[in-house]
Amino acid sequence: MTVTTEHRGGPAPPPPAPGRRVWDNIAERTARLLAGRSVGGIIGQPIFWLLLILFILVPCASSLVLAISPRLFDQDSQWFTLTFLRQAFTGATAIAITNSLWVSGAAAGLGLAIGFPIAWLANRTTLPGRRFVMPSMWLVVLLPSWLPALGWERIVQQQGVMYRLGMDWPWVTHLIMGPFGVVLLLGLRSVPFTYLAITAGLAGLGQEFEDAARVHGASRSQTLRLIWPMLAPAIWSAVAIGFAEAISDFGVASTLALNSNFTLGTYQLYADIGNFPPSFPAASSLGLLLVAAVAIPLALQARALRGRSYQMLSGRTRQAVRRELTARGKAAVLSGMALFYVIALGVPAFGAVSTSLLTNFGSSFTFTLANYRELFHPLAGQPGQFSPLARSFAYGAIAASVTLVGAFVAAWLLAQRRQKSSRMLDFVLLAAVALPGVVFAAGYIFFYNLPMFSKIHIDLYQTQTLLVIAYIASSLPTSARVLVGAVSQLQSSLRDAARAHGAGAFTAWARGVLPVVSRPLTMAWLLTFSGIFLELPISQLLYAPNEPPASVAINDNLSTYATSFGVGMAQSVLAVAIALVVVAAVLGGYRLFAPAGWRRIGATTRG
Amino acid sequence: MNFFTSNKLRILGGALAVGAVALAGCGSSGGTSSSGSGKVTLVVYSAQGYDHAEVAAFQKATGIPVKLDDNSTGPLLTQIEASKNNPNWGLLWVDGTTAFAGLDVQGLLQKGYEPSVSWNSLGLQSLPKDKSWTPTGVTLMAAVVYNKTKVTDPPSTWQDLLSSKWKGDVGMNDPAQSGPTYPFIAGMMNYLGGVSQGESYFTKLKQNGLVVNSTNGPTLQALTSGRIKLALVQSSAGIGAGFGPGSDPNLTIKYLNPVTLLPSAIGIDAKAPATERKEAEEFIKYVLSPAGQKVMQSGDPYGDSLYYPVLNGVSPKPELPSLASVKTQSINPYTWGPKEATINSWFDSNILR
Repeated sequence: MTVTTEHRGGPAPPPPAPGRRVWDNIAERTARLLAGRSVGGIIGQPIFWLLLILFILVPCASSLVLAISPRLFDQDSQWFTLTFLRQAFTGATAIAITNSLWVSGAAAGLGLAIGFPIAWLANRTTLPGRRFVMPSMWLVVLLPSWLPALGWERIVQQQGVMYRLGMDWPWVTHLIMGPFGVVLLLGLRSVPFTYLAITAGLAGLGQEFEDAARVHGASRSQTLRLIWPMLAPAIWSAVAIGFAEAISDFGVASTLALNSNFTLGTYQLYADIGNFPPSFPAASSLGLLLVAAVAIPLALQARALRGRSYQMLSGRTRQAVRRELTARGKAAVLSGMALFYVIALGVPAFGAVSTSLLTNFGSSFTFTLANYRELFHPLAGQPGQFSPLARSFAYGAIAASVTLVGAFVAAWLLAQRRQKSSRMLDFVLLAAVALPGVVFAAGYIFFYNLPMFSKIHIDLYQTQTLLVIAYIASSLPTSARVLVGAVSQLQSSLRDAARAHGAGAFTAWARGVLPVVSRPLTMAWLLTFSGIFLELPISQLLYAPNEPPASVAINDNLSTYATSFGVGMAQSVLAVAIALVVVAAVLGGYRLFAPAGWRRIGATTRG
Repeated sequence: MNFFTSNKLRILGGALAVGAVALAGCGSSGGTSSSGSGKVTLVVYSAQGYDHAEVAAFQKATGIPVKLDDNSTGPLLTQIEASKNNPNWGLLWVDGTTAFAGLDVQGLLQKGYEPSVSWNSLGLQSLPKDKSWTPTGVTLMAAVVYNKTKVTDPPSTWQDLLSSKWKGDVGMNDPAQSGPTYPFIAGMMNYLGGVSQGESYFTKLKQNGLVVNSTNGPTLQALTSGRIKLALVQSSAGIGAGFGPGSDPNLTIKYLNPVTLLPSAIGIDAKAPATERKEAEEFIKYVLSPAGQKVMQSGDPYGDSLYYPVLNGVSPKPELPSLASVKTQSINPYTWGPKEATINSWFDSNILR
């Protein structure tokens, strides 16, 4: 019998001699498999999948399995039941889930409708003040989602600021304190993700495509209609991440939505956990539905991207040319941008200022620095403010750095769309985003606090290590999605050219690929840092005693007394200011220290 | 390429080895690490504003090392429930006895310990029969907070709040987000004769324009902005609102009869090691000592320190109104604790929406 074996390059091996032992065949196959592949290629992917399973899939599964098997982690008496899932489809819960689904879809669409033009204008036109667009997007990411909601409520509620200034507009109150307001706030939160994803995609879209269209007689608008589909991976990434972030949000659900009598699924989920004893099975059932919901944007994405290649970034990519805006164009664009910033930043700033700098819990128009003085001169016995901030800074920096490596690998795998494993990875990563943080963190407790780990002296629960791992695991999906647009555009010729000139695998990547993705990588690092710095639900459940991060200290003040609410707001303002300084430092550092060639890729020149 | 001598393999292997050692070695902030002098680390889960001060004073006085998980009540209880097959805590210190009753029913609390102190009437009302937790102070639910320059004729009874005089002027917190609010609702139901009577009351309150906000901060802001005229909040929140930083000195409080007791209490983990449980008992003794009570009353002067003591010989802070003419009631946490999920769900469906 002739045995046919696979081989990588070279002439086909001779058939094995009769009677040869099995392990000789295995050794020979293994050697052929390994031949020509780097160490990273051999063990990198399995390690990546192992870590993904351990730190994303297992905690998610540990939480979600309680929906049907609550007894698995001693949360109820049944080994198998569909009761909790059935409850999730009935009554007020079903209404809340339905609200979450359409609101998240609308928010993702709104995020794209606003974020895409901003990204295009900032990267491809002479938009005045375009240098401030990127930092302002970080600010929108840094702000906790309840802050804009709080600001809007203070403006439009009955007897609110709007009415006290003589603007008696109940229609505005009705509009904001309802589904429109919820979609608006969640949509505005999606804008930075869209902006970052599209910007990363634009970095690889060279001028040659527009030139080719214009040479063939296409008008400017026809050219744009031809070019935009080339950004499809970035666009779909933005829609998917906007949908997943919106569906898992609790800040808006617990403030504006609640006070508008318009409940969302996450509010119900947090209520299930907040009751005592907490009903993890009920919360897991809702979590399961939210996770399943992300299949919708993924299915749409798969259908849209099927059978197409988006590899357009090569050594021949030409620097794009910025279009000069006319005076009327500039005026129109600036007006639109101003409106965006008033709504996205002005209102939350008002909410923060009014409650941290005004007396009478923010109701009067008299300034006070009492809340900020309390920050810098805490009472005897009260914890200082700076240790938690320094701790959060360290957590953010470490987690962002590690996340970057994993996110790049994940983005590369996601870009290999034809493989089944890529589709599975896509779903797992997006599901992790859709799962609310409290359920994700509970999954860490269920699994990593199992008695069997204590017996072998692996006590990870309530350690800084597990907290940072959870931060990385919760950030990796979003970062991967931000990078997938840029990674999809990479041609293998970039690395092949370096290898042809004698570089090893790692050097070829570092010198051929890294420079062209350095800008998207920087953005992904900052996105992760900003997301972790004030992250709350994971921090609350997993932080190491005696070592609280900033968000836990802030939330403690915000949720207890009115007198400490102002102090909590002052803490939030200070934390956001510090994070913004870090963002500015990193972006400034890139501009100053990155080689000129790195900064040229994805940059533009004037037309 | 020689697979086994590749520099890249050595680097990767070294990184993996370091990572594995770090992962295994970075565990261990559990409560049983020993300080080498027969004392183990006591892990305290607390939501009290004075807990940092109290823990620091206790460590100084006894030399017992303590790790403090200072968090809101909700996340603490979530942590306890999620980790109940392998608990990491030594004692829990929060407001509200329904949570302790729930933990007791699950067998998670040590029973039979009561420190030898002289309880006053508030303390005696708050003691559990099986001695599974120890009260450390009491606040009241709910105090009626109002601006004395704008409201010159405050209500005298709970039924007054249903009158057209207060239409749209009454605000309270959401029980799903504000821990002390469920005991207020349960207390009203207890006072009025049962769950359905209480539901009827709150339904009428809603029909009279009740405004619900998430927690004390937003509710008191609604009061000071003029959105509402009467805020139903925890007594310590109402008192602190009148003199803390950024507050309104015109705010004052009134108690309507009856008002429900909301004890702060300490419960000890039944599954903690014996040494740690003994240390927890020492902690309770310290908290109820004169030195400990002094720290409780100074550690959070605009918040949790505004409590009514449960011991004879300890006076409340001067800012607290006298309870001489106030009728207090206790709810049975073993009766009302199991109803919390159902009643909160009813409130969400019928009052919030």
